Amino acid sequence: MKSVIEYIKKIVVGIWNLMLGMKITWINLFRKKITEQYPENRDTQVMFERFRGLLTMPHNANNEHKCTACGICQMNCPNGTIQVISKTETDEATGKSKKVLDQYLYNLGSCIFCDLCVQTCPSDAIAWSQKFEHSVFRREILLKQLNKPGSKMAEKVKPTTVETK
Amino acid sequence: MDNKIKERILSLAPEAIIEETQFISATIPSDKLRAVALALRNDKDMQFDYLQDLIGMDWGETLGVIYNIFSTPNNQKHVVLKTSTSEKESPELYTVSDIWDSATLYEREVYDLIGIRFINHPGLRRLFLRADWNGHPLRKDYDADPAKNPVPLINQTVEDMETTETLTLTNEGVVGSSFQLFGEKEYIVNMGPQHPATHGVLHLRISLEGETVNKIDPNFGYIHRGVEKMCESYTYPQILHLTDRLDYLSGTMNRHAVCLCVEKAIGLEVPERAHYIRTIMDELTRIASHLLGWGCMCMDMGSITAFVYGMRDREKIMDIFEESAGGRLMANYNVIGGVAKDIHPNFLQRVRDFIPYMRKMLKEYHILFTENPIARGRMKGIGFLTTEQAISYGVTGPAGRASGWMNDVRKIEPYAAYDKIKFEPMMRTEGGTFERYIVRLDEVEESLKMLEQLVDNMPEGDFCAKTKAIIRIPEGEYFQRVENARGDFGVFISSKGDKSPYRIKFRTPCMTLVSALSPITCGEKLADLVMIGASLDYVIPCIDR
Amino acid sequence: MFDFKIVTDWIDNLLRVQIGIPSFWTLAIEFIIVGVVFLSAYAVLALILIYVERKICAFFQCRIGPNRVGKWGLLQSIADMIKILLKEIISIDRSDKFLFVLAPFFVIMGSILTFAALPFGKGLHAIDFNIGIFYLMAVSSLGIIGILLAGWSSNNKYTLIGAMRSGAQLVSYELSAALALMTVVVLSGTMQLSQIVEKQNTVWNIFHGFAAIPTFIAFIIYLIAGHAETNRGPFDLPEAESELTAGYHTEYSGITFGFYYLAEYMNMFIVAAIATTVFLGGWMPLHIPGWGAFNHIMDYIPTVIWFFGKVAVCVFFALWVRWTFPRLRIDQLLKFEWKILMPISLLNLLLMALVVTLI
Repeated sequence: MKSVIEYIKKIVVGIWNLMLGMKITWINLFRKKITEQYPENRDTQVMFERFRGLLTMPHNANNEHKCTACGICQMNCPNGTIQVISKTETDEATGKSKKVLDQYLYNLGSCIFCDLCVQTCPSDAIAWSQKFEHSVFRREILLKQLNKPGSKMAEKVKPTTVETK
Repeated sequence: MDNKIKERILSLAPEAIIEETQFISATIPSDKLRAVALALRNDKDMQFDYLQDLIGMDWGETLGVIYNIFSTPNNQKHVVLKTSTSEKESPELYTVSDIWDSATLYEREVYDLIGIRFINHPGLRRLFLRADWNGHPLRKDYDADPAKNPVPLINQTVEDMETTETLTLTNEGVVGSSFQLFGEKEYIVNMGPQHPATHGVLHLRISLEGETVNKIDPNFGYIHRGVEKMCESYTYPQILHLTDRLDYLSGTMNRHAVCLCVEKAIGLEVPERAHYIRTIMDELTRIASHLLGWGCMCMDMGSITAFVYGMRDREKIMDIFEESAGGRLMANYNVIGGVAKDIHPNFLQRVRDFIPYMRKMLKEYHILFTENPIARGRMKGIGFLTTEQAISYGVTGPAGRASGWMNDVRKIEPYAAYDKIKFEPMMRTEGGTFERYIVRLDEVEESLKMLEQLVDNMPEGDFCAKTKAIIRIPEGEYFQRVENARGDFGVFISSKGDKSPYRIKFRTPCMTLVSALSPITCGEKLADLVMIGASLDYVIPCIDR
Repeated sequence: MFDFKIVTDWIDNLLRVQIGIPSFWTLAIEFIIVGVVFLSAYAVLALILIYVERKICAFFQCRIGPNRVGKWGLLQSIADMIKILLKEIISIDRSDKFLFVLAPFFVIMGSILTFAALPFGKGLHAIDFNIGIFYLMAVSSLGIIGILLAGWSSNNKYTLIGAMRSGAQLVSYELSAALALMTVVVLSGTMQLSQIVEKQNTVWNIFHGFAAIPTFIAFIIYLIAGHAETNRGPFDLPEAESELTAGYHTEYSGITFGFYYLAEYMNMFIVAAIATTVFLGGWMPLHIPGWGAFNHIMDYIPTVIWFFGKVAVCVFFALWVRWTFPRLRIDQLLKFEWKILMPISLLNLLLMALVVTLI
């Protein structure tokens, strides 16, 4: 007799737990859907500002960048994604020759977005943009040159206060 | 305790050289190692029962092995044994796989990558590389010419994997003999490497008797990328990015381990705020990893809805990571000296909002899945792993705690901010599939409690200590352990003063989890194998490195 | 209530009397019309069901589901149908070709034959046997042959294991399903489906006074056993992907796989339809004894709408159960049937017999 009672109890408890589980799915039926309607929401979508989307070299209004062609980013990159090609230029005013940036080549196809280049850049020349739609049909398009044609390095403004890091 | 250990070692091996730093390190000649290991393992007052790692080393003149052993009854006392042989053509050492079961796979790895052959090992063969690979990659004189090891254009037959050469110690000395992995009459079924339920590219060869599993032989190496060899030519900040890709679900914690090891080596003091931020990120990563492990386990049972719910909640954590660190799964947040950027102003509020939401969802998950009689019927009463087996196989993490072994590194060797908050490691004693499942969900609840304490007590201050541009570690050997989502993640760095390590070894928890699959599943039905694998929750890139 | 017999009589009259076609050819034309109508209804219903399942599954999981192909994704099923028709049918090396091609037809045949015997509305009933329920049970068992043939002829040890498991499951659950239906036969006193529906004129079987208790239990048992028969819901181990064997239909591709897929959805519909006919009153509107005006209003809603509405509720229930629970292992499945469902359905039958004789 005891085993019969156990049997019935097992069935009743089992059915009760199953129904409780179904209640949870029922509640979820009416919750707000979490799907993001991409690509229709491109206009209203806001990416986080620290998101590492694409490496860029910001240029100001006068088409000037801050890269000094020091090559520290190239040394720190783990797999050779960045190539800094520099040339020597003679400064007309002082007659001294210095190294300036000729081409800053960046291979989006091999970048691992590790952030080492941006972290170690001493002149804050490169930064991340939030663009994430990188698919292309030919691999050659992924080799980008980050400095715009005709741009040169902005003159450094002497700091009036001591900068603390 | 230290003196007793020293005396015991010296009594068995008088020529041993013993150094005492934070741990006792003993260099023992190769013929006396087995005696010392047996004594340390079996003596009543020693009981070093946990072999955490077995590291193959190429010291230039000699090839050798470093053993990291811990004693569970003595509050995880750490002893390091080293041995070496100067025979570089065909080096041979004695195996310890009958003393500690976890050594079976570790010694195969050492044979594969360094070339040391172990006498009396049951089935010594390569672990990651193909059976016909020429050379041993982690040796310093390894020839990496692609012409030596061309990519084969014809299929390798399975029989090549099944016969190996073992060395046995007989009266005539060391003798090689051929060893068959599976018998003639055994019915072998392949599972993977492409399979929806193996959580990665894992190839299991299962020998069946009807529906009952007799033996499982895992076959690794499908995602072996040679991370340890690559690290030998990278600087320390660059190595951090490789650790993210090992066990990618607990990437933050892997980076944390390497950062702590390097900071310990160069003696860098990390600011308090950075410790708290690192701990918060660790606990959030742990919750995310357990949610994914839970979801995959439910999906393997057929409840796809539970998987989607787990992913939905994990998205909230990913948003938190993305706002502060810039990346979702690969957050790249810990750097040597602290964290890369200070937390975003919204960070603490988001974590505070997440905690009650996750609690409510956990209750729902328990009602939906844990109380479900169908789920219970599939999980309860199968896949038992005893405490002794867990310790011997080195099964750490939630799977080990479900078997009653207290192995939480956060309590044993506290790091970051873990000594400043109160928490309990979640333990069960039966060690079955259901217990492993429940321990994970309990750990999520415990992590939420930890997050509450951390978020309320966050100190102000710096988020990163200043380091030199090029980091060089002083000469020596450094160990560090961290509690990963899957267990005890260890880092060993051997440095000769350069900016790249001389040898780096990652002790990954998942390799021992897969090696424990065989003793657990022997005698169980084939249909339960999927659930047992899901309850152990291994991630294959962690094993293959 | 609108009696569909008016339309069928009008067509018959048109062909026989007005156009004057001899009887043999009239019957032949009528048969062809009925066949075409049923086959197209079968396919269209399956497409609708596939769309409904995907949308409801998505809503349960807090997602949206298909919403790109057509407004709200309504054309998604049609796109899938075109895709599956255009797929290449891969022929298997060293398989038993005749049986391999024959197997899906058995499954579809079993399904369509059952479909044809259901009463969709008043007068909208193609085959009205006096052994209606017996016929339904017999014909739906044809599908089992198809599954076993598929598993055997694929020349693959995994499909064979899957087919064996599926065969064992189907044969076992047939018993409980049949016993549950027998309970209603005891209550109604007839096996003829249209009679069973007519007898529920005053009140549906499931609310039928004291007999409601055994009827309700039989309803639940029938739903569970019926879904186990269609390899759906928590009972889909033989065709699950994440278990070791991928099921009896692994080696089928293109439209041959489409047959199995279609048959599965339609079997789900058929189980729900039989449950509605027998337990929930079929096409009979909701009549409450004593409320004449209410009953009169209910009669205005067409019977077809009543039928499909009730079937929709049962199908929703089936989807709800499927997307909540994990799978049962094969030995748990069989244990559930033989140790739990079967004793309960036998006792239930006994109880119903007692209730009918005593009350």
